[in-house]
Amino acid sequence: MPDETWYGDDGEPGGRLVPLYMLVNGRTSPRNTSLNLATQVTALPVDTSALEPEYREILSCCGGWISVAELAAYLNTQLTVMKLLVDVLLERGFLALGDPAERTVADYRLLETILDRLQRL
Amino acid sequence: MNRKSVKVVVAGGFGTGKTTLVGSVSEIAPLTTEEVLTAPSEGIDDLTGIEDKTKTTVALDFGRITVNADIVLYLFGTPGQDRFWFIWDELAVGAIGAIVLVDTRRLDASFPAIDYFERRGIPFVAAVNMFFGECPYTEGEIRDALKLNPTVPLVWCDARDRQSSKQALISLVKHAMSRLPAGTSA
Ligand SMILES: Nc1nc2c(ncn2[C@@H]2O[C@H](COP(=O)(O)OP(=O)(O)O)[C@@H](O)[C@H]2O)c(=O)[nH]1
Ligand SMILES: [Mg+2]
Repeated sequence: MPDETWYGDDGEPGGRLVPLYMLVNGRTSPRNTSLNLATQVTALPVDTSALEPEYREILSCCGGWISVAELAAYLNTQLTVMKLLVDVLLERGFLALGDPAERTVADYRLLETILDRLQRL
Repeated sequence: MNRKSVKVVVAGGFGTGKTTLVGSVSEIAPLTTEEVLTAPSEGIDDLTGIEDKTKTTVALDFGRITVNADIVLYLFGTPGQDRFWFIWDELAVGAIGAIVLVDTRRLDASFPAIDYFERRGIPFVAAVNMFFGECPYTEGEIRDALKLNPTVPLVWCDARDRQSSKQALISLVKHAMSRLPAGTSA
């Protein structure tokens, strides 16, 4: 991993009220190490009114399950930054996390289920 | 929580049809997300002796196939630049394996991808993208040129065609299954 993270907040149209590095409290890598770009998250039913707008915007996309990569794409935010924002939301109890990715998929039945679905594509 | 995502990595050199394949099988229009990296640029500045750091934007395209209420399959195209291996490492976590697209006019463009998955023991299939409907080489010739391990499946595809791309995906999943003892559940 690169030792520096660029937060991508300069030059963005509309501008941000709070620099992203402040939003994530200077965090440069996720504390939840099982967070991958395909990890699924979903909003928990908690009051979000005290949250910064950037966080509320993310939660508004998490009514169902969604991946970190999709959040980054829809909200036009760099992947690394989205991961950090999601990490903070997980830690603060606003999001629930799906199954962590295994290093390799070694579940025969899971592959069978996927194969069956692909054959119907 | 039981919501699970699995991935298929779509790799191959620049212009081999990765984005096209992702788009032809995805249930959503392919999405793009960017990663901005600070990486030392080539060499060291001669005058100052200070390593020059440059920001590089790397784009990742991906698509999605919902398998059932608990499982989503993501298809991730690898970034055009081969040197950002840590992005490949992140893509490979939780992946069934990879489809390595091959353009027979530029076989060498797919060498780094083949080498990457080979070394890590990640299941992959080589998919020859038939840009002009026909391929002038035999399977044996392509296998030799790519130095493909005989156990690696080689398929022909037209990345623009959904059924054809789907067959490449199916061959990958079958190949991954063939490497596991039947009936195992993690
Ligand atoms: N004729 C033909 N063109 C293709 C095929 N697959 C991709 N292309 C074209 O080749 C170009 C590169 O494809 P793209 O998917 O962007 O490649 P990537 O760089 O690997 O993502 C695009 O202009 C595609 O339309 C194919 O199977 N047949
Ligand atoms: Mg592409």
